[in-house]
Amino acid sequence: MAREKETTLFIGPQHPGITGNMMVKLKVAGDTITNASVQVGYLHRAFEKLIERRNWLQSFTILCRFCVPEPDPMELTYARAVEDLEGREVPERAKYIRTMVMEMARLQSFMLWYAGQSGSAGLYTLGQWSVGDRNYILDLFEELTGGRIYHMYIWPGGVRRDLPKGFKDRALKTMDYLEKRLDEFDKLLFDNVIFQKRAQGVGIVPKDKAIEWGVVGAPLRGCGIKADVRIDEPYDAYDKVDFIVPTHEGGDVWSRAQVRRIEARQSISIIRQVLEKMPEGEVYNKVPNPMKWTIPAGEAWAKTESVRGEVGFYVVSDGSDKPRRVHVKGAAYTNGITVTEKILKGQNIADVSFILNSMGVCPPEMER
Amino acid sequence: MLEKEQNLLEQIEKTFNVKGKVIRERRVEVWAEKEMVSSILLYVKNQLGYKHLNHISVIDRLEEGKFQLVYTVYSHETGLTFFVKTKIDRENAEMENIDTIWDQANTYEREMREMYGIQFPGLIGDQDFALEDWDEMPPMRRDFDTEAYASQTFFHQAGREDAQDVRETIADRSGEEVPEFAKKYSRD
Repeated sequence: MAREKETTLFIGPQHPGITGNMMVKLKVAGDTITNASVQVGYLHRAFEKLIERRNWLQSFTILCRFCVPEPDPMELTYARAVEDLEGREVPERAKYIRTMVMEMARLQSFMLWYAGQSGSAGLYTLGQWSVGDRNYILDLFEELTGGRIYHMYIWPGGVRRDLPKGFKDRALKTMDYLEKRLDEFDKLLFDNVIFQKRAQGVGIVPKDKAIEWGVVGAPLRGCGIKADVRIDEPYDAYDKVDFIVPTHEGGDVWSRAQVRRIEARQSISIIRQVLEKMPEGEVYNKVPNPMKWTIPAGEAWAKTESVRGEVGFYVVSDGSDKPRRVHVKGAAYTNGITVTEKILKGQNIADVSFILNSMGVCPPEMER
Repeated sequence: MLEKEQNLLEQIEKTFNVKGKVIRERRVEVWAEKEMVSSILLYVKNQLGYKHLNHISVIDRLEEGKFQLVYTVYSHETGLTFFVKTKIDRENAEMENIDTIWDQANTYEREMREMYGIQFPGLIGDQDFALEDWDEMPPMRRDFDTEAYASQTFFHQAGREDAQDVRETIADRSGEEVPEFAKKYSRD
């Protein structure tokens, strides 16, 4: 059979919904992708460079912008790295609050994922619902931190302030509501034959290559590999709550969706447990005057689990009032570049945005 | 206590004649000459199960005239994170390419080439990473002055000077008056 002529096709830099601005340069033969190259640079704002010119606390205004759909893991990872360097203790109550914030962040990010994943399959109703329901979590964030998307709430030494009066009750009611809604989401997405047919056997990450390729998060667990920073290297109050880390065999879009489906419910369960078990006490081991606050010279590596996977910060101090270096490794740095390039080969053009959403692509954390 | 960590450290120190330390629980580091780095990484990946490349980081040690490179790898079996650290000269900076060990190292190396000017002989991938047609000093180097570059490259947007209210500038340009209720927010 004669080889079909290859054509170059550009997907992006306008993003296909939720993922963010980047470009995938495709070589296609007919409808089939023969080569893919991820090209970033459309969101580069030199964040890491800017942080080197700011003091340790001022950096938080930049850090949270590393990933718009889920900024809180960035704050927490940096805060934990700084605490590690300084040896600063975190009050017990603050650890619980941080855990709650992280799970709220995961939950609202799952809602965005529902929208992106279903929207890229042409199922728009669910996206309207989940983004609408996400606002109830953002309401809680606004009440707790003053901000809906960017919070700057987690600081070295704890969190900025305690829970407002009546917050626990409102948060529990929101969780009850969202839990019921997740059942509705399942009907629209997982029971939908369009999604089933589109997701099964598409965008497969091979299990035997997953770790070597640097796959993290739901895409790794979707290959049947149980790996989660919250379990492997527990931080804050994660060792004091019960939750399961779901896995699913297959490595395709369907498997990753199944993992996230369970994880969203687990987030609700963790938030409930944390609210019940939270001890009384201080929430902030106050840092000195931020303008004069210096951190002992050293290097620290901290990592946390976001919805997209492992987020790691390599933080270096030279003993001054500013970070010497803050290097961020977001989950999308591997999941969204080399891994995506590999798994797109042999796929259909129509599945590109579908696979991008499933891999948790987030360009701002790739190009920082 | 820290038995796993000590065992890993001893094994690496003995095999490669390098020095390191156990930083704390689950964290072990060694310092090596740049020629040794790829051998150590290959060994821990293939022999000890450290298959997950977490991160490759660069720190510009301008005062020493060196770049410090940190390779971070992780084992899902032992749960340990292992750092291989090295220093290379800032002048004509060059480091061995390891994308033959981990494909994803290609992305890190392309970024390091662009942001710090470190060359990786044999690295496949000529295209820019995040910057386009950049011919200035690699911008993540400590001696690259972001503020000076920005002031030389971009024009100053009127209305952004200190203590100047942008609404007043707009009002001046358009000939409209700033309403009374808005004036009270002016920094003057």
